[in-house]
Amino acid sequence: GDPGLPSSAMYPLEMEGNSNPKTTNKPKYSKFTQQELPACKPLLTPEIVIAAFALIGALFVPIGLASLHASRQVVELVHRYDASCVPVDDKVGFIQNSRTDKTCTVTMTVPKYMKSPIHVYYLIDGFYQNHRRYVRSRSDKQLRYKSAAHLTSDCVPEGDTADHAPIVPCGLVAWSLFNDTYTVRVNGVVTQVNKKDIAWKSDKNNKFGKNIYPSNFQKGRLIGGATLNESIPLSEQEDLIVWMRTAALPTFRKLYGRIEKDINANDNVTVVIQNNYNTYSFGGSKALVLSTASWIGGKNNFIGIAYLTIGGLCLSLAMGFLVLYMVKRRNFGDPSNLSWNR
Amino acid sequence: MTLAIGDGANDVSMIQMADVGVGINGQEGGQAVMASDFSMGQFRFLVPLLLVHGHWNYQRMGYMILYNFYKNATFVLVLFWYVLYTSFTLTTAITEWSSLLYTVLYTSLPTIVVGILDKDLSKSTLLAYPKLYGSGQRNEKYNLNLFVLNMLEALWQSLVVFYIPYFAYRQSTIGMSSLGDLWALASVIVVNMQLAMDIIRWNWIIHVFVWGTIAATVICLFVIDSIWVLPGYGAIYHIMGQGLFWLLLLIIVVTAMVPHFAIKAFSEHFVPSDIQIGREIEKFEALNQCVYGPFIC
Repeated sequence: GDPGLPSSAMYPLEMEGNSNPKTTNKPKYSKFTQQELPACKPLLTPEIVIAAFALIGALFVPIGLASLHASRQVVELVHRYDASCVPVDDKVGFIQNSRTDKTCTVTMTVPKYMKSPIHVYYLIDGFYQNHRRYVRSRSDKQLRYKSAAHLTSDCVPEGDTADHAPIVPCGLVAWSLFNDTYTVRVNGVVTQVNKKDIAWKSDKNNKFGKNIYPSNFQKGRLIGGATLNESIPLSEQEDLIVWMRTAALPTFRKLYGRIEKDINANDNVTVVIQNNYNTYSFGGSKALVLSTASWIGGKNNFIGIAYLTIGGLCLSLAMGFLVLYMVKRRNFGDPSNLSWNR
Repeated sequence: MTLAIGDGANDVSMIQMADVGVGINGQEGGQAVMASDFSMGQFRFLVPLLLVHGHWNYQRMGYMILYNFYKNATFVLVLFWYVLYTSFTLTTAITEWSSLLYTVLYTSLPTIVVGILDKDLSKSTLLAYPKLYGSGQRNEKYNLNLFVLNMLEALWQSLVVFYIPYFAYRQSTIGMSSLGDLWALASVIVVNMQLAMDIIRWNWIIHVFVWGTIAATVICLFVIDSIWVLPGYGAIYHIMGQGLFWLLLLIIVVTAMVPHFAIKAFSEHFVPSDIQIGREIEKFEALNQCVYGPFIC
């Protein structure tokens, strides 16, 4: 509370017996209405400022080092293949022609020991899955309930076939499903890529129906991507589920599968790619990624560098303020500093 | 700005013409009171009206208006930076429900409570040093410089909130809804931390509303991401399970607040305003007279 002046000094009339309870207009006193609730009044003193910056610096520098270390431990192989896999000049024509042979072989040498599970991703650049019209072009109700199969109004232009039969799953998101495939050989031996459990459990259980089967899918004039096996329900079409989790940024990777064996350093990894997906029409690119996992996710030095930078900055600020306070100290709470007293 | 005070019928036109009209309820009847903005029983009540309540109102209104512009600017700028990466198609970075709830729930209540309850100096200090009233007359709490500073802070904080996750997740498998949840939570925490740094008097009500709002935001994010028909279904559970999310949240909040903290520390010690010195005088004296203990007064 406030160490206030005694009330008789401000309001002498009250003490003269004029305050008859029946005629007084004085409101009932409460700490809340008189704004006298007990409160903390923190104030920034030099000690607090220096301590705060030093503490942040002392905390962030080790975190930065640990993050950089974790990122350096991740072994990642990225191989861009869209340009090298189509040797002709008319790439769009090549990819759109269903009769050309789209097999392509890519070889990589593993620089360091890779511990399983090794994640296999496809990395696409220049594809705006976050485009406003694209994101809307889907029907979540249709994916789950058989009775909602006709709810294709948001999916235009991939909502209904020419005969007005609903496409399941409808929309541009499903229509543009990625369809390159990878067969991996380590030192010549075929290594299985496990394509089970690559999608989120919550999506498989609650967003995609167990009794919904694809129908009328990719049957139109324009083929956007993969076709779907009509005897497998949507909840088990994991590539579709992974693809339909729209990516946040135009450069993204999506999980293709996992290799559940270790790969040693200097092993030759050969991947036979079926280069089906058309990223050539819009100037995008495709790459294959093999990566080990760590608590920090994939390989990314950014978080470690950011922590080190901010930690270093805060330590410098602590030093700077220390020097400033020593050079020009003023007394705390000194009334002679008030502007009319100076 | 002028204030006119009077108690009789002949004062009515003066009271009406002034910016602030004060009427005295007394022996000459009630006409002055009916025409006035404030009415009181005695002329001497003018002193606390101006020095205490006028000062508190000025400080609260000035801060609240500037803060409201700042917090909305921060949020909208985060959405704006995302547009640069969606082929300029105005996809919202943050789910539509969270965008709606931002002004309604995530950031409104602390603003209101602080605008009502916060005060920079106590009643006795303001009455003991009447010249502190000059702070309002010199536009010290609401002026163009403060507005520009606020907007620059909004710009900086929006860049931090947007770009730190952007660089961390740039080529990863992150989905739109997961990244949107991080942006939403980071924005809310950053603007509430800014408010927390500027609050002068922390009573229990302010504590409840500031920390409670952040908790309410987290709860809302969980609820929104538990509705299966929305695109963000399951996103918050997924991203909160990753260590990277928490590391990013920590560095975003700290980086966003460093400039504000540094400016505050510098200006309060090296170019202190009279209000700041008044606060120190209060604390210095209060430490000797505290009723509740050394830390809460």
